[in-house]
Amino acid sequence: MNLAICLLCIILVPLATAGLALIHQGLGRSRSAAHAMLATLCALSVTAIVFVLIGFSWAGYPSGLAHAVQLAGKHWDWLGAEPFFAAGLRSSLLQSPYAALVLALQIFAVGLASLIPISAGSDRWRLASICASSALLAALFFPLFTHWVWGSGWLAQLTPLFGLPSFIDTGGAGVIQVIGGLTALSVAWILGPRQGKYSDQVAAAIPGHNIVLVLFGCILALIGWIGLDSAASMLFYGISAVQVVVIAINVMLSAAGGCLAAVCITQLRYHKPDASLSANGWIAGLVAGSAGAGLLSPLATIFIGIVAGTLVTFLVEALELRLFIDDPGGAISVHLGAGLWGLVAFGIFGPATGSRSALLLAQLIGIATLLGVMLPLIHISHLLLNKLVRFRVDKDGDWQGMDIRELGAGAYPEFLVHADEFVPR
Amino acid sequence: MSLIGSLLMVSGWLLALAALLLLAGLGQRFTFVLAGLLVELLGLALIAQRYRSLQRGTE
Repeated sequence: MNLAICLLCIILVPLATAGLALIHQGLGRSRSAAHAMLATLCALSVTAIVFVLIGFSWAGYPSGLAHAVQLAGKHWDWLGAEPFFAAGLRSSLLQSPYAALVLALQIFAVGLASLIPISAGSDRWRLASICASSALLAALFFPLFTHWVWGSGWLAQLTPLFGLPSFIDTGGAGVIQVIGGLTALSVAWILGPRQGKYSDQVAAAIPGHNIVLVLFGCILALIGWIGLDSAASMLFYGISAVQVVVIAINVMLSAAGGCLAAVCITQLRYHKPDASLSANGWIAGLVAGSAGAGLLSPLATIFIGIVAGTLVTFLVEALELRLFIDDPGGAISVHLGAGLWGLVAFGIFGPATGSRSALLLAQLIGIATLLGVMLPLIHISHLLLNKLVRFRVDKDGDWQGMDIRELGAGAYPEFLVHADEFVPR
Repeated sequence: MSLIGSLLMVSGWLLALAALLLLAGLGQRFTFVLAGLLVELLGLALIAQRYRSLQRGTE
């Protein structure tokens, strides 16, 4: 492994975080803009500290220590067993920097995952509960699934356990995006819609307040995604530094496919391209492509991106209009929907050494684990957490805006205040 | 309904896992893992339906 290139790729990952933060902030309302950005910083801070203290011990890394159980005559590696507080990391640096590189990448990765639910809870999710939820994510949800996939856990060992190919997720479509998306879904369910969203059983459109920031965030996210996919592929799948070029090409192609598909679909359906849905298509392409970045052909990557971008435009509408889920930034559709599609797509288009069905089966087992273990765990934990730290801001805060309610000042104090924004509904 | 949905989702995963442990043929495993996923989707639909009716009721 080329240490310098791997380190450079890890350093790029925070740009994906910055991009997502700008997208979420821009798609929310102006009255909650400062709150959204502060919530991003708080979530990144909480996840970094909690992950180093607890999460990294359970996430572990390939060839690291792990808890295992004997079940049905098979050896199940289900949880990392590294020392808490990242103890011994500095001394191990002298022998090999591998563990430190994994920790650095995972700190940024868990931070990225923690931003996804913030978008779904925009305009009504209290800061204290955002921090509490982020702590849970970094201490439990993320390390658990990360160990199974990236830490030589049981999903990475389907070959010795069951004679199937391993579950593959080279860039974190499942580990980061779907885990974040499932958390976002749980948060959106618990919080309920924003006031005025469903007056008289009709969904009111509440547009984002700064689409320029959203589109700029997409470009930043692209750079971050190249770093994320490359670093994870090098660290967990042994991809060489030369193949990083292929990853960079594929990341761009998947984003391009997603964005163009969303532009075309919205043009066909609404007679004009929708900027926010196109931005969502771009990110959906990045998310779906990250399941097999570097291992897929450019043509397959373009197709995966196009399907992701198309899927997102329909999912956003279905969640809002049919399921009454108010997700201001479209985070559930983008990260959960496109992430799941990316994992399935790798089973269809990924390089199969044996049977194609076996590869697809391995990917489906990973998806079944995400939906059957992680979603109930995340949702029940959040329901309990909501009893301890109330998620939703009170009724006054809902119409007043999170900036004034929780921070005491707005993001844009020199702007004109529209009277109707401050009328209780 | 939310609890039943969550239990169904876990059951779906157990079904998929049992298929891997008990069956040897790829076709049989594939069918049972798909069945497990369908059970999980049923659980997801139940939870979604519960929140949908809750949210429609509050407006």
